[in-house]
Amino acid sequence: MSASTTLPDEIGLLASESIRDMVSRATDNAPIATYAEGESPLSWQSISDGGWDQIGIIEDGEGASLRDLVEIARAWGESCIPLPLLPTIMAKRHSAAARAVDGPVTIAIPSATRTDGTCFVPYGQLGDIVVATGLDAGTDCVVPVTDGLADDFDILMHGVQAHMRTDMSMSAARELGVVFAAEASGAAKKLLNDGIVFAKEREQFGKPIGSFQAVKHHLANALINAELAETAVIWSSLQEHEVFRGALFAIDRSIAVGELVLQVHGGLGFTWEMGLHFYLRRMLGARELVSGLSSEFGGV
Amino acid sequence: MTSEQLVGELPADVVSGDDDTGDDADEFTRSAEAWLKENVPARYRDHRGALSNEETDEIRRNWDRQLHQGGFAGLGLPREWGGQGLGLREEVAFHVLAGKAKAPDGFGRVAKVLVAPMLITSGTEEQKAKYLPKILSGDEVWCQGFSEPSAGSDLAGVKTRAVKVDGGYLITGRKTWTSFAQHADYCFLLAQTDPAAPRYKNLGMFLVDMKQPGVSISDIKQISGAIHFAEVAFTKVFVSDGDIVGEPGDGWSVAMRILTDERGGTETAARYVEIRSDVDLLLESCGDRPELASELQELDIRTELLRWQLSKVVDLEDDMGDAFQRAVSILKVLWSELWQDVTRVGIKAMVAADREHWRYQYFESRAVSIYSGTNEIQRNIISERVLGLPR
Repeated sequence: MSASTTLPDEIGLLASESIRDMVSRATDNAPIATYAEGESPLSWQSISDGGWDQIGIIEDGEGASLRDLVEIARAWGESCIPLPLLPTIMAKRHSAAARAVDGPVTIAIPSATRTDGTCFVPYGQLGDIVVATGLDAGTDCVVPVTDGLADDFDILMHGVQAHMRTDMSMSAARELGVVFAAEASGAAKKLLNDGIVFAKEREQFGKPIGSFQAVKHHLANALINAELAETAVIWSSLQEHEVFRGALFAIDRSIAVGELVLQVHGGLGFTWEMGLHFYLRRMLGARELVSGLSSEFGGV
Repeated sequence: MTSEQLVGELPADVVSGDDDTGDDADEFTRSAEAWLKENVPARYRDHRGALSNEETDEIRRNWDRQLHQGGFAGLGLPREWGGQGLGLREEVAFHVLAGKAKAPDGFGRVAKVLVAPMLITSGTEEQKAKYLPKILSGDEVWCQGFSEPSAGSDLAGVKTRAVKVDGGYLITGRKTWTSFAQHADYCFLLAQTDPAAPRYKNLGMFLVDMKQPGVSISDIKQISGAIHFAEVAFTKVFVSDGDIVGEPGDGWSVAMRILTDERGGTETAARYVEIRSDVDLLLESCGDRPELASELQELDIRTELLRWQLSKVVDLEDDMGDAFQRAVSILKVLWSELWQDVTRVGIKAMVAADREHWRYQYFESRAVSIYSGTNEIQRNIISERVLGLPR
């Protein structure tokens, strides 16, 4: 049961670095607000050309481990690029029908905040996307997204609330929960770094706000939370007990980072344009999805 | 949750090593476990509370000699100087195993964790030859003379004076929060060598013989009722020129080099075992109380993550500089605030059978966010040295 190391393998390290490079070339490291409500700065083509959507596929027992996927999801979470890379990776990992599809594939996930029997379909608004019906469970097909209501709370996720649902095995559900939590923890890492840069540059009372102890301690606490979030997703990815509890803990710590960094940004942090809220929305969305998975599959 | 799941072992990588070093580290774990089983004194392990102070002291002093004879003294110190030439991984693993085996805390902790690394990095050949062998053998006990009644968090503001005389210095001043003072043969101590020199350049690091006239020790009774520390007054106590570490104005930089070691993984490993056992006590005594369920779950997962954070630190030690710094810098804040939260719940739970335990732990735990650099100072260090915020 126990892993031999908390570190990812080469595949996770290389893939996360490459994905980071690819995103940073596509965005020119521009702030999230510049692409949050427009076209994706990265094309799906460049993702599939790189084979990144297939990185989770296991053949003859060989392939990325969940720990590797954590590293990839963390790298991806730093940018919130509005493309369904993570659902596609997970669908192709657990569904042959999804593997047969060239384009993006998503998953219909029970969400904790819906009581009308609908599921949340991440990126369900994208034109060419299909939904996997079974992840190592149920019928293994892909189908178009049925009509549903757009849910734009997490603006970059282009979600749909629809009457459809992906069947999944316990282990697929757990992996999905860990990957969503890992993505949130990557967003937390990015927010922490933004907070540090801001605190060094922003001046009040004639000096950088980062020189005031109250601000320093907020950012020290943000680091503590970001580290705990990372450790919690690693924990969840490497053993089988209390996986959802670990994932939710990681998401909560990530949200705490978001709140602290927003506070450090002062009034600017509260503006739509500053864009911190895009990450916070991703984290709160992840919390709903993982809570949903946890109440369906969590009784371990 | 079942307590079997919760009472985890350390992740395999910490106790038994990764693939590359798996065999060696497994070997180390096995031999350490076997050795501890043979050597931890049974009357300390089983009847610790019933022993007199004298008996406990004797067991603790002897423990350092046992460690030496067993080949477990100075695990992380170079072989050249009598250590075992191993790394943080083995240090952490040994501390966890020793904690679980209820091994005593020797009197050699300050010497092995602080003085030996200091002498190896900053000491003269004569100092190393004179002091290191007896530190490792457990024959000489050291205490630390840093904090003063008027210099706590502002450590650079120490007022103890070192006045130059023929062949050495005369030390006069008061040191406080000194562990092991009653048992110590030597004290490594910060004192002002040149009051006119600028801050950080005005201190020297001295190796002071405690068994000489002019050294006066008085106990400090803590809020828990326990006595773990002393105040030490030095009145014109002589130190020879050969017993300064570095130049007479180098004391601050010598001190800073070792304080980072003090806050590393080994103390966290020992603390993890203690906290795990307190959390297990809570789960056993009130794990079925619904009004405490969410708090207990939270404490349990934080304890589990403390151990994984430590594993992360151990795994990152070799290659990733920045990630390692970030991971290791938060350890002290993490375990100290976790333990305080655990004891707070212990008090609140009001389990009659454990009343005295929680009363004592609650008061003891108030110290941990204060000593070894208050948690406010820790957060300053995290934000300035790790995150790079302006001073």
